Amino acid sequence: MAAEADRGRWSPLTLLAILLAAFVMLAPLIWTLLLSLKANEALIGNSGAALSPPWTLENYRSILQGNQVFRWLINSLIVSGGTTLGVLVLCSLAGYGFSRLDFPFRRTLFIFVLLGLAIPEQAVILPQHQLFAELRLHNSYPGLILPGLAGPFGVFFMTQYMRAIPRDLDEAAMLDGASRLKLFWKVLLPLTLPAQATLGVFTFLGTWNAYWWPLISATRSDMYTLTVGLAAAQMNYAQTSGLGFLMAQAVFASIPIFIVYILFQKQIVRAMAGTAVR
Amino acid sequence: MRRFLLPWAALLAAGCGEVAGKDDRAQIYLQRFFGECGAQYGGATDVSKVEGECGIVTAMINKFNANNPDVHVSSNVVAWPGYPQLSAQMAARDPPDLVTMHTGMISDYAAEGLLEPVEPYLAEAGIGPSALTAASRGAVTIGDRLYGLPFDTHGGLFHINTRLFAEAGLMKDGEPVLPTSPEQMMAHARQFTARTGKPYLIQSLVGDNAYAARNLYTYLLAQDAVLFPGPRRIRLQTPEAERIVDFFRAITASGTSTRNQDTPAAIASFMSGEGGIYPTGTWMIGQFEAEANTPGRPLFRSYTVYPYPRLWGAQVSYVSGHAWVVPRRERTAEQRRAIGRFFRFIAEHNFDWARTGHLPAFRAVVESPAFKALPHRSNIAPVASTGRPLPGGVQRQNAIEGLVGEEVAAAFNGQKPTRQALADAERRVNELLAGLD
Repeated sequence: MAAEADRGRWSPLTLLAILLAAFVMLAPLIWTLLLSLKANEALIGNSGAALSPPWTLENYRSILQGNQVFRWLINSLIVSGGTTLGVLVLCSLAGYGFSRLDFPFRRTLFIFVLLGLAIPEQAVILPQHQLFAELRLHNSYPGLILPGLAGPFGVFFMTQYMRAIPRDLDEAAMLDGASRLKLFWKVLLPLTLPAQATLGVFTFLGTWNAYWWPLISATRSDMYTLTVGLAAAQMNYAQTSGLGFLMAQAVFASIPIFIVYILFQKQIVRAMAGTAVR
Repeated sequence: MRRFLLPWAALLAAGCGEVAGKDDRAQIYLQRFFGECGAQYGGATDVSKVEGECGIVTAMINKFNANNPDVHVSSNVVAWPGYPQLSAQMAARDPPDLVTMHTGMISDYAAEGLLEPVEPYLAEAGIGPSALTAASRGAVTIGDRLYGLPFDTHGGLFHINTRLFAEAGLMKDGEPVLPTSPEQMMAHARQFTARTGKPYLIQSLVGDNAYAARNLYTYLLAQDAVLFPGPRRIRLQTPEAERIVDFFRAITASGTSTRNQDTPAAIASFMSGEGGIYPTGTWMIGQFEAEANTPGRPLFRSYTVYPYPRLWGAQVSYVSGHAWVVPRRERTAEQRRAIGRFFRFIAEHNFDWARTGHLPAFRAVVESPAFKALPHRSNIAPVASTGRPLPGGVQRQNAIEGLVGEEVAAAFNGQKPTRQALADAERRVNELLAGLD
């Protein structure tokens, strides 16, 4: 018991190292926050002015007064939410299929899906853009959501997770007269919730921060996502004459992400620690 | 589950359709950079009362819409510089009607047949090519065709701290004494640093490829060097180029210049009164002038600006500019007339745009007393006639500037020998140009 307590106690040196590491991690964030609370004019000659008062919320007020900022926020929520939902549905179904069903060319198809992990987004951006142009899907929510649904990582992740669930459960459910769909819906899906949460969080964060595809697909400002809209709102040399505003934009755009982190902290930590897949 | 999915499906369906206006006005879809400032200037129509690029262009478009009830110009503000979006729109065959474009980019789009020559629109607007300044006309001309309505001319200038110049004994009759040769510039630099303890030259040599390229281009054009023997070949391994690079390398090594500064750091240095000259563009005049008019600031009553001094050859500045271009697409006769009318309006308000610090694109405005009455504009007005862009037929000017600037900045900084930097720049650019279709 005493030995366990000792293991849980940090030595002063360890504590100091942890505090130092935490400071190194937090310093850029604190710096960004302080800059965002300072008038642009005060930062032009000396950004060190951020360290001393007076601070102001003027930059945040300017963001909220922007004509379309709430539209961009809603767009980002719809696109991120839609993509996340779609990825969860598709990857769960695909994971079930690859892990539980026998069908011709299953292994080949699975390898084919995995090959998608090796293809960077940039490599397919031109034909993808052309395809969406032909389908007249640019400047629309489907245009922003559909490319994100092709998630080989999610398929792999859910397949591996479902493979780890004992097949005895399937057999027991089948003996009780459950159909394939019922087995999936009532038995397997609830057991995959930790994996769903992990995949959902990462998909949401990735989609929220996406820039390249929204930049070239949503070319009308009413369809911009928040990342593209805030970039468009910047004037030239914003890093010099509008540093406070620029930092406020960064903070503003990260608030929803921050909320997601707080709500799903446990899942994110588990995912990072590699314990989401049993 | 169904209850959960239905709202999402409804939202997706709502997003499927493109937003389109349904009225009888001629619809012009305009796409621009310069930032979004609708919160501040969304309702402004008095162009003379607003400031800054974003404010002025926003108020101009508002005013055009107010004055032309049969036309509606809807604006789309893109993330600077907006070319990935424009290229995507063109690939999707849905480009805007009017786009702001850096003149150095025009050749890339014109070569692919993606831009319309604008002579018909200029004729509709009653604008003759001779109304344009030599610099602005040259910047939108490819072959014998005009591919845009020039909005302005911009290029490098010597922004000067006159208080430090006076301290260094480099003021005469209230004006800064600028060098007329490289030797004199080095002597001035040493005198300045010895007397003030501060760098004579503030250079942004980190992450600012345009700075080094601008210096090289300006002084190559001044020496009448043939930078591009053909539209797909650059020549940089020349005595003229070596002379320029060696000089800036020497001035950096002499300790009379800043080192390791990026653009924000260089601007901050100049605004904090930490150097004599900051060579940067026309676009900073407004910001520096505001500092010069603010009591308590280091630049208070201590600022002026001049074109790059003649160090070799003739008095020439490398310039670029902004232009309004017309992407090729189907348009109604009403839309074509509306674009012509918009061009006319832009031309009539060229003075307002010149308040941003950029040089006017129209000769009449450059020569007008109103323009010359603006702070420092009489000093820099000659650039409208001495400014020279790169040859219009050269494509990928932006990428070329990046490659040349990167190599030359390395030489300025002493990180690469001059000859190697010029050879590498020449090779890299020629490889790029050789790869064009």
